Amino acid sequence: MKLPRIALGIRAQLLLVLTVFLALPWLGLSYVRELERFLRDAQERTLAGTAQAVATALHDRPRLFATPPDPIASFARERADDRASGASLPPSASPEIAQIIEGLSRTTARIWVIDRQGVVLARAGSLFPPASPSPPESTWGRVRRATVGRLYQAVLDQPSDDFSDDAATQGAPHGRDVEGALGGILTTDRRPTSDGKAVIVSAAHPIWVGDEVRGVVVAEQTGNAVLAERNRAFERLFNIVLAVLLVGSLALTAYATWLSSRIRRLRDDAERAIDEQGRVRAPLASSGAGDEIGDLSRSFSSVLARLSEYASYQEKMASRLSHELRTPIAVVRSSLDNLKASPLPAEARVYMARAQEGLARLTQILTRMSEAARLEQSLSDVERVRFDLVPVVTGCVEGIRLVYPEARIACAVPPETVEIDGAPDLIAQMLDKLLANAVEFAAGSAIAVRVEAASSSVAIAVDNDGPLLPEGMEGRLFESMVSVRAAAGGNEPHLGLGLYIARVIAQFHGGTVAAANKADGSGVVVTVTLPRLA
Amino acid sequence: MRRIAIVEDEPAIGANYAEALRRHGYEVATYANRPEALAAFRTRLPDLALVDIGLGDDVDGGFTLTRELRALSATVPIIFLSARDSDFDIVAGLRLGADDYLTKDASLPHLAARIAALFRRSELLSAPPASEDIVERGALRLDVKRLTADWQGKRVDLTLTEFWMVHALARHPGHVKDRDALMRDASIVVDDSTITSHIKRIRKKFQAIDPTFDRIATVYGMGYRWGE
Repeated sequence: MKLPRIALGIRAQLLLVLTVFLALPWLGLSYVRELERFLRDAQERTLAGTAQAVATALHDRPRLFATPPDPIASFARERADDRASGASLPPSASPEIAQIIEGLSRTTARIWVIDRQGVVLARAGSLFPPASPSPPESTWGRVRRATVGRLYQAVLDQPSDDFSDDAATQGAPHGRDVEGALGGILTTDRRPTSDGKAVIVSAAHPIWVGDEVRGVVVAEQTGNAVLAERNRAFERLFNIVLAVLLVGSLALTAYATWLSSRIRRLRDDAERAIDEQGRVRAPLASSGAGDEIGDLSRSFSSVLARLSEYASYQEKMASRLSHELRTPIAVVRSSLDNLKASPLPAEARVYMARAQEGLARLTQILTRMSEAARLEQSLSDVERVRFDLVPVVTGCVEGIRLVYPEARIACAVPPETVEIDGAPDLIAQMLDKLLANAVEFAAGSAIAVRVEAASSSVAIAVDNDGPLLPEGMEGRLFESMVSVRAAAGGNEPHLGLGLYIARVIAQFHGGTVAAANKADGSGVVVTVTLPRLA
Repeated sequence: MRRIAIVEDEPAIGANYAEALRRHGYEVATYANRPEALAAFRTRLPDLALVDIGLGDDVDGGFTLTRELRALSATVPIIFLSARDSDFDIVAGLRLGADDYLTKDASLPHLAARIAALFRRSELLSAPPASEDIVERGALRLDVKRLTADWQGKRVDLTLTEFWMVHALARHPGHVKDRDALMRDASIVVDDSTITSHIKRIRKKFQAIDPTFDRIATVYGMGYRWGE
């Protein structure tokens, strides 16, 4: 089964890879949870320590637990700022104990001392922190609170001082910890407030008088401090991760943009370097960059250079071949010429005639083969002149009519002069090739030559009703030594150089030549387009 | 007896040419390389030299040899005979003072005819012209025997091939000579673009004497015509 191909640019791919880093906040979260547990443990231990310290001060003082409580006296000691519901809190019944633990009232913990019956002997401190004016918020802080702050609020439990203090409704603490302490064991407990807005952590320590537990010290604190600490840690971590992710993805996007622009440029260059016919148009400028893309560009450039070397080798092959063959053929020719001059028997003269006929054909082939190469060499010092294309075309058509009297050639030219810049001799040579080609392919059918002038270009179309071009050959026809003739018939050698010469001449004039089957399938049209002078 | 020196690195060709020319009654000496030929020329000048351009590893040995031979004699006729047929080689050879440039496509009878013509030219240069061998077309005066051309009374220095082309055109003014006819008349086998460059060179030589020269007209697609 084939998966559907999804086209993703380098940038998109890199950003996709970057999503791996989204695991970072999750890692941070679990780290912070670990931290929170640690902090809670520490808090419980601290509370247990406080309870123990208070209990230690009260151990073995039976007198403190003997006196019946005096609620009125201790009630007066209630702290005025016990905001939640101070009036309803159970009062301290033992002034002595209250005096002992009063020093602890400045902590954020609330200390209870209760006797076995659950009567509050003394109480100090508050679960609520003292109200302090919040410092003025900076602009940055406001912005942060409005953006990421909202996110944190949604994700994290926020500590709240607006919880209901259960002691106000249920009186002295009587939880699991108190029961444990009455059993003589230091016990810690954690319970949510009745409205669920906060968690109360408490530790209870037994007070011993002799071997008997006479009372319990309960130290209580909200979990808000830990929660706030945890939230702060998480926010700091998350802010850093967020910043790193943001900066990282910006940098990566920029980097990927740079990379893909270099690759795109390389692709465009490579595409431009080769034209539709697969010929190397211009060598690729190799990049000096030391990385893989520079490497790729250099190897592209060398591949193209080799390709163009190969193409020029191919194009020069004809002339090299003809050059190499000239000398052995000269040996054959001069030998035959000598043989001819000496007395020969009658039957030998027949073979002599055949040999010389073959040699003449061979020579003609060689001449054709070197024509293209010579043309290319001579282009460098061709004098360009401004001339009227029309008489050149009509002259060439006249010439072809003389050479092939049986061919039916129609010629349509515009009435005005069509001036181009170039060499009329070369244009005539090109038209000779195209017309001779058309005559051979038309095989007796009509040929039409049209000159169609536009404002800045002129097209010369030669069409014939001969056999169609095979699929895919339209572009290759104009390459050196490519021919679509089924078999070389007659005496004319077919090397596939005629249209190549036509292309070289058209290109020299800044024009193009193309061959195509006519739309109605009735034949082939070869069109040369040249720039026209104003 | 006239002496012809053949400088050719391909022994079979050298021997074939030598044999054919001997049959025409010349005394022929063949040399395979430049030092050998030069040593012989220093001892005794040939009456005509047939020189290949590439001599073994010495790709331009023929050009060097021609320069050295021209230094020894300004008049000895020299014919280049080469497998090379680029315009560049032809121009370079003719600039060095060669009298003609043939590719190895030329047949032995063609070669013999050229050699005979060159000998005739050098022989008759001093003799008075005979009127029956003169072709006059306006300012053009061709001496067919001595193979010389004058324009407006001044000598135009044409090679043998060029002379024969001008002659073929000027003999029937106004008639279009196609490329095949020109090749036949000049006894050469070349392609269209070589004819074009020959014609260009001829025009330039005439224009050197008379910048307004425009008698050789191109008839596109057909050939060339001598205009009156």
